[in-house]
Amino acid sequence: MPKWGMTADLDRCNGCGACVTACHAENNISTVGADEAARGRAKHWIRVERYWEGEFPDARLKFRPVMCQQCDNAPCEPVCPTYASHHTADGLNAQVYNRCIGTRYCANACPYNVRFFDFFNPSWDKPLHLQLNPDVSLREVGVMEKCTFCVQRIKAVTIQAKADDRPVADGEIQPACAQACPAQALVFGDLDDPESAVSRLSRSSRGSKLLEDLGTRPSVTYLDRQSRTDA
Amino acid sequence: MTRPTPRLAAAAPRMPADQRINSDLLRPLTETSWRFYALVAVFGGIVLAAIVAWLSQVTRGFGITGIRWPIYWGFYVTSFVFWIGISHAGTLISAILRLVNAGWRRPVTRCAEVITVFALMIGAMFPIVHLGRPWLAFWLFPYPSERMIWPNLRSPLVWDFFAINTYLTGSVLFLFLPMIPDFAVVRDKSTGRRHRIYRALALGWRGTPRQWHRLETAMQIMAIAIIPVAVSVHTIVSFDFSMAPVPMWQTTIFGPYFVAGAIFSGIAALLIAMAVLRRFLHLEDYLHPVHFENLGKLLLVMALLWGYFVFNERLVTYYGNKPAEMAVFWRTQRESFAPLYWTMVTGNFILPLLLMGIRRFRTITGCVIASIGVVVGMWLERFLIIVPALGHKYLPYSFAVYRPQPVEILIAGATFAAMTLLYVLFAKVVPIISIWELKAGAHVPSALVPPATQEHPLGELHL
Amino acid sequence: MKAVYGLYPDGQTAQQAVNRLRAAGFAERDITVLSPQPMEDYEFGQRDKATWMWWIACAGGAVGMATAFGLAWITEASWPMNVGGLPTFAWWPNLIIIFELTMLGAIVATVATLVVTARLGRAGGLYDPAVSDGQILVGIEHPPDSAVSELQTALGAVRHATVKTI
Repeated sequence: MPKWGMTADLDRCNGCGACVTACHAENNISTVGADEAARGRAKHWIRVERYWEGEFPDARLKFRPVMCQQCDNAPCEPVCPTYASHHTADGLNAQVYNRCIGTRYCANACPYNVRFFDFFNPSWDKPLHLQLNPDVSLREVGVMEKCTFCVQRIKAVTIQAKADDRPVADGEIQPACAQACPAQALVFGDLDDPESAVSRLSRSSRGSKLLEDLGTRPSVTYLDRQSRTDA
Repeated sequence: MTRPTPRLAAAAPRMPADQRINSDLLRPLTETSWRFYALVAVFGGIVLAAIVAWLSQVTRGFGITGIRWPIYWGFYVTSFVFWIGISHAGTLISAILRLVNAGWRRPVTRCAEVITVFALMIGAMFPIVHLGRPWLAFWLFPYPSERMIWPNLRSPLVWDFFAINTYLTGSVLFLFLPMIPDFAVVRDKSTGRRHRIYRALALGWRGTPRQWHRLETAMQIMAIAIIPVAVSVHTIVSFDFSMAPVPMWQTTIFGPYFVAGAIFSGIAALLIAMAVLRRFLHLEDYLHPVHFENLGKLLLVMALLWGYFVFNERLVTYYGNKPAEMAVFWRTQRESFAPLYWTMVTGNFILPLLLMGIRRFRTITGCVIASIGVVVGMWLERFLIIVPALGHKYLPYSFAVYRPQPVEILIAGATFAAMTLLYVLFAKVVPIISIWELKAGAHVPSALVPPATQEHPLGELHL
Repeated sequence: MKAVYGLYPDGQTAQQAVNRLRAAGFAERDITVLSPQPMEDYEFGQRDKATWMWWIACAGGAVGMATAFGLAWITEASWPMNVGGLPTFAWWPNLIIIFELTMLGAIVATVATLVVTARLGRAGGLYDPAVSDGQILVGIEHPPDSAVSELQTALGAVRHATVKTI
């Protein structure tokens, strides 16, 4: 049984935001407009957190792409009253839109704040409605949504591999964010395969987990920056 | 409303004669002034406006509230916890005082039990109000669905569902059972349609010793059962917070802290209700200053207990000095939420200590002022537990500020109107002081009256 | 004759009436006493005290406990969902559900016992609305015709009595 995971190389990430755009396109995430975004209703399943260090002219920028960490010990799962948020056998935290009644407890429990609520029914200005991905369901108002590691792509590849009677090759599954990243900072794969790129990168000495001390056991490993501009 | 007959002048108030008790306590049922209709119209209007507001939230989308990433709980959950807390009034007064055979509870039990039932109903409404898809709320009920999927019994929200339903069932029965003999009194004193309605409600009550014994035994059992249920209900509500790894939420003190706070706010609500009833229904002969004094002393004790829990919670956090927790700690105490925080401390601690601790101020007016302070303070306490923490979790990029919108303010405020409205309607159809329990105080079996203390049903107590 | 009864203003006179009825040879179960509140400081207020209610409440609690346990076991085992790595049947959270349904079972059993044993909801039986005004009713329902005058004398002999025959 594969266990899906990701690494994000913070040395490579330059904060361009291509991952965010690709995620919106792949997963039918509507934009909410400037007013609603100002009111905190934007739904960026992956976001690039930008932090400043120091004062001008010695200010340094740090970027960190944050998406659902698919925690093994996910705090969002036991609290959902309807099992809409639960753990799958291949290590993903599933969000079942049809089962969600919108208590938003999971979002409060998530320390990474990667869960988003649909405040309104989504809408796309024409002709953007033509680019919707048929593999991903639209979420109506009142349900929670979040990054799924592009589960539709995982499923498509694994089903095709099974039909072809071959194992899934490392790197064959590319979530939209990993696919779009120009610096190839995001790597996705099977953590249970010790030879896969994501496993090797996870074992790197630069590797660390976000908010590790909370005990959530996330499946995403961040590779710390090595380059320093004040060297 | 006609002026009542002048009080029997006496240094220590004595129990009025049986017939006078009946007529005094049944008067609100038979006489209605314009004030009643005005009250119902005004508060009914507010409640109606709130219902319209909620329907607009359901149809136009949840976005018209102030809820936002990452503060996903706000006024609605605050109101939920607040009203469930208020509902602990009845349990404490009615059940605990009944079990310890405190005679002074007798005029007060039904006032308290009514608060419990209505506060519970209002509070239990909020889990539905705050849902993203409230039309699917029935999924919380364990029924064999077509897909054979059940609610998650490991979720605190499902525990809420079971606990609140158990408590609501118990409280409604606890309120209704002792009303049966009083319905019999109204039945006997009325004619026509009113007689038929109350005859049905009285369930054929006659008053044989057998019936009295069964009723009192049932009340005794239910009092014993309802106390642990009440404690469990607010503990489980506190689990809605302590089960999430949010800074200053994941603390083991929340269970006892919330229960103590609930009893605290419940007593305050009861004091306000009693003072209002005493004034507007002319119950001066039944609700004596000693009742307010006794409850005022309880309010003082609970204020001290509340302060003790807050001290515990904050001292331990302070010593732990964890960055995320200290950020929330200072946010409430020093930074943006400081005005609300210190208002809360004033209302919950300073005011009750002054007004209830100094005997000169422990009058009915003093009790009411202190209680209003407590009600405000406790509402703020719920708000300050929820919102500052959610807006300031771990990743600074996602820190945010919550701005409540009109729909939330209206619905949260209308709950007070709803409570008043329900209470006024109740007092119009049921005697708000339990007639038979009041009279039964004079007939306590000798086994319950220890020789050293005399049960003095409605007398003055100077301690 | 449907009934012969007397109305008495306080417990003492009512007790005297009951004693006189017993002395006149009427059986305990034929004597009806109605009071506007429980009067356990008098002997007549202590009648019919024995009850199974406590035991039935415990039984109701046991039924509730079993129901909750069954509900938790069956629902959690029928579709085992992994939530946060918790065991499928986790004792700590399930104890909460079990506790709540136990108490609910006890409460419902108590009320059901009350309704049945206090014969609530059943019409009929001797009653006089004067009871609500504070009078205590002591009497016999369906007395044999021969005993009526004896009854009226016995009941009327007590002070402040109001004897009625219907």
